[in-house]
Amino acid sequence: MRGRKNKDLFLGILIWFSAIVTVIVLVGIIGYILINGMPHVNLRFLTSEYSASKNGSKGILPMIINTVYVVILTLLLAVPICIGGAIYLTQYARQGKTVKLIRFATEVLSGIPSVIYGLFGYAVFVVMFQLRLSILSGSLTMMICILPIIIRTTEEALLAVPDAYREGGLALGAGKLRVTLGIVLPCALPGIRTGIVLAIGRIVGETAALLFTVGVSGNFLPKGENIFTALFGHLFEQGNTLALHLYNSAMNGKDPPSVPFATAATLLILVFILNRFAALASGQKKKATK
Amino acid sequence: MTKPKTSCGIAQKKRVGCKFLRPASFLFSVLAAASVIFPFFRIEFDEYSADVSGISAILSSIRTQTNALIGFPFGIRVTVLLSVLFIVTGMVLLLIKHYTLSSVAFFLGFVSAVVQTAFSSSLREAFIGQGVERFSSWMGYGWTLFLFFSLIASACALFLSGIENTAENIFKLTAFISVGAVGLITVYMFVSGIPAIAKIGFFDFVFGTRWAPVGTEVSFGILNMILASIFGCIGAIMIGVPIGLLTAVFLAEIAPKRLASIIRPAVELLAGIPSVIYGFWGMKVLVPSIREFSTKIGYNSTGSGLAAVIIILSIMILPTIIRVAETALRSVPESYTEAALALGNTKISTIFSVQIPAARSGILAGIILGVGRAIGETMAVIMVAGNIVQFPSLFSSVRPMTAGIAFEMGYAEAGLHRQALFAIGLILFIFIMFVNLSFSYLSGKGVRADARQKK
Repeated sequence: MRGRKNKDLFLGILIWFSAIVTVIVLVGIIGYILINGMPHVNLRFLTSEYSASKNGSKGILPMIINTVYVVILTLLLAVPICIGGAIYLTQYARQGKTVKLIRFATEVLSGIPSVIYGLFGYAVFVVMFQLRLSILSGSLTMMICILPIIIRTTEEALLAVPDAYREGGLALGAGKLRVTLGIVLPCALPGIRTGIVLAIGRIVGETAALLFTVGVSGNFLPKGENIFTALFGHLFEQGNTLALHLYNSAMNGKDPPSVPFATAATLLILVFILNRFAALASGQKKKATK
Repeated sequence: MTKPKTSCGIAQKKRVGCKFLRPASFLFSVLAAASVIFPFFRIEFDEYSADVSGISAILSSIRTQTNALIGFPFGIRVTVLLSVLFIVTGMVLLLIKHYTLSSVAFFLGFVSAVVQTAFSSSLREAFIGQGVERFSSWMGYGWTLFLFFSLIASACALFLSGIENTAENIFKLTAFISVGAVGLITVYMFVSGIPAIAKIGFFDFVFGTRWAPVGTEVSFGILNMILASIFGCIGAIMIGVPIGLLTAVFLAEIAPKRLASIIRPAVELLAGIPSVIYGFWGMKVLVPSIREFSTKIGYNSTGSGLAAVIIILSIMILPTIIRVAETALRSVPESYTEAALALGNTKISTIFSVQIPAARSGILAGIILGVGRAIGETMAVIMVAGNIVQFPSLFSSVRPMTAGIAFEMGYAEAGLHRQALFAIGLILFIFIMFVNLSFSYLSGKGVRADARQKK
């Protein structure tokens, strides 16, 4: 009896210890980055240009703009595909081999590591389609990366819409398409929003898939003869994103040590905000379906 | 289900549209087919420039100044021919009123025209190989017209089959994109990885111990990289799984509700931190402390190496394992727990003798998912591994496969070196697919859905 008590005590301590280790690691990483990085994050850092020379300005405005470019372009490419696919899986397809195949494919996609996406994007978009290292190639690669994230959340959101809504719409004489786009999809919007925010988080933090597809030397602002060529020409240029910039400046050591710290802190805060948004959106979803 | 035939508004609309949609679709497909006689490619080399129409791209060759006859690359000929054939097939299908199929045919024509751009590099190679110095090529306006007309023809044919069918087909197409992506990635990894393996020899590649991609005496053996990946992964599992599993037990069974509701989002946060940030933290905190520790116990090391890789990876797989294990533990039927408690077990011994064994398949699935993450992780690893290719030992620098790819892609010259990197990618891909398939096989349905939900 005594031995068992001791064993219980020991295992109990082990469990508490593990939980505490997890929390300490988390707090340690976040605290370290924020404490060392935040003092260097200021308006000048966020809104000035970057130059590779030793004493030049070390702002991250170009990287922020590039990140926004990649995020927007990737979402423009991926969201219609994902929503269409999820609609097919939940509203049209009969359960069977086809659906199983599609589900399996999405699952496989979510398990492929990003360095493989990077190699694939490099072979197909950069070399084969001659898009070179550009924001466009990077976005096309990221599009495939985030397919499983948005498809899965959208699918769940669509499944959560009560059948009665659908039946009500059909009973009123609306066609299937009308019911899907007019009733089911709007009801599922909060869930879809969660998926999109999660996907943005993934794109913002992604490095390995972008390393060989957008390149690391695009440290300049969009420029061109007029606003049109500036905006769209930038799609075909290299674009260093925030995460890539962090990797680069941490690894090559040319920048003063404050630069990677400040970039890391900015990135971390960005990811937190996105995380918070995702949580808020999914909270709304729960309320809506109740 | 029977469909209303005429009385419904939609059906009538469809009939009206039918009147001019069919001729329109036919017209546009004819235009698309006709645009083959307009320039598809515009090529310029040396002092010479030429517009090459689709027809002549299939049939004829070009004579350079050195009097060499250069045919268009096989890939271009095939794709141009295919796009024409698809358009013709579509027209036939349109005539016999298979609207959906004909729309698919037009669309395939469009796709094969897009694929033509992918062969412009082989076109360039064909000319450069013949002693042409300056060469450039663009897609001509005939090609643009072809894209435009085939797409419109496809859309018209699609709408002919009625708005509902159109929508369903479009949704179906988008759903199959992920299947297509998986297929393409698989094909591409093999196509770009196999040449190097064939040249180097499978055994020399996988079991070779010398990696010297540049220099006079090149050698491509990746055994040390494979071992570094495997050791890093095993180490991470050995540290990460016990901590993760016990944390999951804590969250599912032991923790007071309020504490659990603080820790759970924190774990989610841990999953959301980008891997570069882990790597950066490892570089700044982990590596120096390992350096200090190793000098204290008598090793002389820089700190970056297998030990740092293992610690970073075990932190990174924590959230995955915690999430899956917690779900698995929660799905153990309450009656098991109650029965065990009624038999006089304490809470702790119930957890270890009943709940964990009952949840073992879910926990195993979580571990496999963790293995997948650990093997595939790149950025965090590359920043702390030290990146010297040698037999992995705890305090010396290593280079796992992923780091090998990412590290050298930046400067690898086209040729065997780059192909070898793709071959490493192929080995990694095969490994990951194996892990993935065993995950799908092992995981229960509920666990699977929850594990993959947020990543």
